[in-house]
Amino acid sequence: MSAEETKRGGVRQTLARLLGSGSFDAVFLAGPALFGLLLFVAVPFAIAIILSFTNLRMGSPLETQFAGWEQYRRVLGDEAFRRALFNNALFALVVVPVQTALALGLALLLNQQLRGRILFRTLFFMPVVFPMALVAIVWKLLLAPGPDGLMNSMLQLVTFGAWAPRDFLRDPLLALPAIMVMSIWQGAGFQMVIMLAGRQGVPETLYEAAAVEGAGPWRQFLHVTLPQMRNTIFFVVIVTTILAFRLFDQVDILTQGGPQLATTTVMFEAVRTSFAEARVARAAAMTVIFFVIVVGLAVVQRKLLREEREIL
Amino acid sequence: MKAFGLEVGLRKIVVGLRLFPWPLAGLPLFLSGCGQPEPAAYDDEGREMVYIWVHSGQAPERETIRGQVEEFNEMQDAIRVDMTIVPEGDYNARVQAAALSGDLPDLLEFDGPFLYNYVWQEHLIPIDDLLSEDVRRDLLPSIIEQGTYDGELYSVGVFDSGLGLYADRRRLEAVGARVPGGIEEAWTVEEFEEILAALFDEAGGRPVLDLKVNYTGEWYCYAFSPILQSAGADLIDRDTYLRADGVLNGPDAVRAMTQLQSWFENGYVHPNIDDAAFVERAAALSWSGHWDYTRYSEALGEDLLLLPLPDFGEGSRTGQGSWNWGITRRAHHPEAAMRFLEFLLEPDEVLRMTDANGAVPARRAAIDRSGLFGDEGPLRLFVEQLEISAVPRPRTPAYPVITSVFESGFQDIRDGADVGAVLDRMVRVIEEDIEDNQGYRRR
Amino acid sequence: MKPRSASRLLPLASSYAVLLVCTAVFFLPIAFMIVASLKPDELVLREAGTWRALFPGGASLQNYRDVFDRVNFGRFFVNSVFITGCIVLGGLVVNSMAAYAFARMQWRGRTLCFGFVLALLILPFEAIAVPLFYQMIEFGWRNSYQVQIVPFIANAFSIYLFYSFFLTIPKEMEEAAAMDGAGALRTFFTLIVPLAKPAFATVAILTFLMHWGNYLWPLMVVDHETYRPLPVAIAEFQTLPPIQWGDIMAFGVMMILPVLVVFLVFQKGFVKGVASSGIKG
Repeated sequence: MSAEETKRGGVRQTLARLLGSGSFDAVFLAGPALFGLLLFVAVPFAIAIILSFTNLRMGSPLETQFAGWEQYRRVLGDEAFRRALFNNALFALVVVPVQTALALGLALLLNQQLRGRILFRTLFFMPVVFPMALVAIVWKLLLAPGPDGLMNSMLQLVTFGAWAPRDFLRDPLLALPAIMVMSIWQGAGFQMVIMLAGRQGVPETLYEAAAVEGAGPWRQFLHVTLPQMRNTIFFVVIVTTILAFRLFDQVDILTQGGPQLATTTVMFEAVRTSFAEARVARAAAMTVIFFVIVVGLAVVQRKLLREEREIL
Repeated sequence: MKAFGLEVGLRKIVVGLRLFPWPLAGLPLFLSGCGQPEPAAYDDEGREMVYIWVHSGQAPERETIRGQVEEFNEMQDAIRVDMTIVPEGDYNARVQAAALSGDLPDLLEFDGPFLYNYVWQEHLIPIDDLLSEDVRRDLLPSIIEQGTYDGELYSVGVFDSGLGLYADRRRLEAVGARVPGGIEEAWTVEEFEEILAALFDEAGGRPVLDLKVNYTGEWYCYAFSPILQSAGADLIDRDTYLRADGVLNGPDAVRAMTQLQSWFENGYVHPNIDDAAFVERAAALSWSGHWDYTRYSEALGEDLLLLPLPDFGEGSRTGQGSWNWGITRRAHHPEAAMRFLEFLLEPDEVLRMTDANGAVPARRAAIDRSGLFGDEGPLRLFVEQLEISAVPRPRTPAYPVITSVFESGFQDIRDGADVGAVLDRMVRVIEEDIEDNQGYRRR
Repeated sequence: MKPRSASRLLPLASSYAVLLVCTAVFFLPIAFMIVASLKPDELVLREAGTWRALFPGGASLQNYRDVFDRVNFGRFFVNSVFITGCIVLGGLVVNSMAAYAFARMQWRGRTLCFGFVLALLILPFEAIAVPLFYQMIEFGWRNSYQVQIVPFIANAFSIYLFYSFFLTIPKEMEEAAAMDGAGALRTFFTLIVPLAKPAFATVAILTFLMHWGNYLWPLMVVDHETYRPLPVAIAEFQTLPPIQWGDIMAFGVMMILPVLVVFLVFQKGFVKGVASSGIKG
């Protein structure tokens, strides 16, 4: 046995001692993923925390200095960033209920014995395979200002001419709703499919029993569908909420955060600060704040889910 | 026995790997193979490589530089130029990121006023010793001025820019507007607004003014800071380059920007989302630069007029400076980069480019031979403006912040925000940046 | 019996009515895009407010030709397919292996490591985009394929999906394999992987949907056309002068059509994959 082999055998033994028997296989199996998550998720986060306490700027020849809480003070005092937080929250507050309700409604409709069910399901799901960048660009054209725009002319048609053409994406009141609509358009199909699966998991006997007791469709919905689909609905709500905080692509392509900050988001501010303005430390502070919010949402989710069932 | 254990372990791995479907097993190898190596300093035939970045620009401009690169590569066999086209919208951000990751090209094209920041960050090398004296003497003073920082020359451009008001002659005649004959005769802003109102009525309440609001990036500071200067204000105090308060947010600035805002409020400004408002003759006036000349003259022919920007009180002002070339610190072959640059600066090549993009040739030798810029040329105004009314953008490393803040401030003003408050905020951001960088003193 | 069928007919009819309205809403943007891509550029905007927006006077493939003349569409497409393909394939391997180690093997640190994975479960990539950007600069990875692939391979959500699936596989089968002398690795690759085909399909489809549209990340880390994926390419194409909406829509159709075809062929799989993400979540 060569010295080299002894050494490697020693490593293996040490590993075995450290991690328990069978650990070599476990490390081989779990290692790559753990290494990836560590290197590309945990390390960047650590970097963000460190940078956020400095004054680092990309490309500056000046020395980087420790800046204490200065970046946090500035970010939290920044009107644009506060508006970004507000916009993200507003987006979530509107999109989450609307999209969830729409997805649930479509799922229930499609759960009936209808001709062309599959066709409808396919159509509603289709936008899901569209990259958000493409969705934004197509909608930019749909939302074209003036009477030439499809959306404007349709609204005029529907309201019998009462609608005066607007420039949706430049209107402080309409820009964020416009982005909400296209996001719902793109995402509803995904949630619908999850809801459909959830609905199909509800035992039909429950409905039969409810019918025997004289419950109409509405009461069946309230007393059977909703409670039985609680977990599915919950899952959809959480996922959509977190998606709402990731909002970036549409904003970057369509509005650049405008008009007057009406569509700016946390991610948009962070990317602009780091990428266009080269203010690394400031962007890092934004990232940490974003982190705290998302982790907060995650904790709430875990707590609420725990009550209901054992997931682990 | 230890060795046996190891063998078994290895065998397990081998068995495991063999069971992978092929593409999966090949994946890690593939990944390690596709990493980007440092760009080669020489090509396969031993020629010196010169990597260049150019901005995407208008189509004819893009085609011209592409053609020039091909020609240069064919006409000699010592140097090979490799071109990357970079989108204009976030050009500076890409330069910054590339500088950090060591991805800067050898010869970098960039918009003039970014020079001072790049020099401060030590990305560029002086080119005084590389540029031949003959070429240097023939360049327009505005080009040398733009490329100089702290007494050294860092960049030269093939052309300078022209910014003005393109007008549709027939539409002006329809409302009986006076046609200014030169810079001195520029419309006053009151006159301009009367004409706008008349054109607007004549067009049945449809927008008539194209301000190129479809653009992103440098456009706003370039095109609309002359409004400030014409009103007696500015972006920053030019004596110290440390202070913007009282300059960018003084009463003159507020008055000028409020006037600009009223054009939006009155519905005069065309959204121009397909960049065709003027060529389709929806807009009667287009606030634009030399790069639109070719397209506009094709569309309007004899009806195309070029006028100076309106006078906000202190005389008409306009922008100057344009894309120019600097050699980066990481260039393998600075002399080779300069040889290509001097090729672009040959009068024939200068004219080839300026015929494609309508810009003012950077060399007197080229201007004299140009049909566009000669005494009777349709773009003569641009040459005169460079002599009389053009204002260079602030020569400070703080410029990237100034332009970025101006762009977002312009958007806010466009959308109806309170002008004074917007300008105050812009001042705060600019001064905070200067302070954070310790006044941008050079080491 | 007659009144009863009438009472059933009404809800049925209203169901169809609602579905048809929704179909119109969902399909309209897609139809608009396709129609616009077949029209001369100058008509796209001019006719956008008329019925001609959906029913063109004529059709031509000129815009499609123009896209190929103006930009290197083929390159962008290949880039996107390659990048997404590598993320999907790499992710399947790495994450299923990790999930198996968590679901079936006993090792010290397992609880701790799994806790770490769970903590990352719903953390969106965006939260670390900015620091990761600087890290990648340090690595010298900007402008490459691997910068768009490697950070996304290990994925906590994929691990969790595989983990949930592996828990449902009866232990007896593995015990039998162990009796035959198979180690954990062999058991995994020969026994579990074939059994877990549905889980692999689900994760593959979800990973594809998650990364096919990646925009923010390549926007930050890629300057060169050589490595540019489709979403960034179309965003840049729509600002590349001259702005021609017909060309832009043709670009859009070409970037989505192959995916739509794949989706329509495998739509059952897609729907199943997405559906099972919710059940386990």
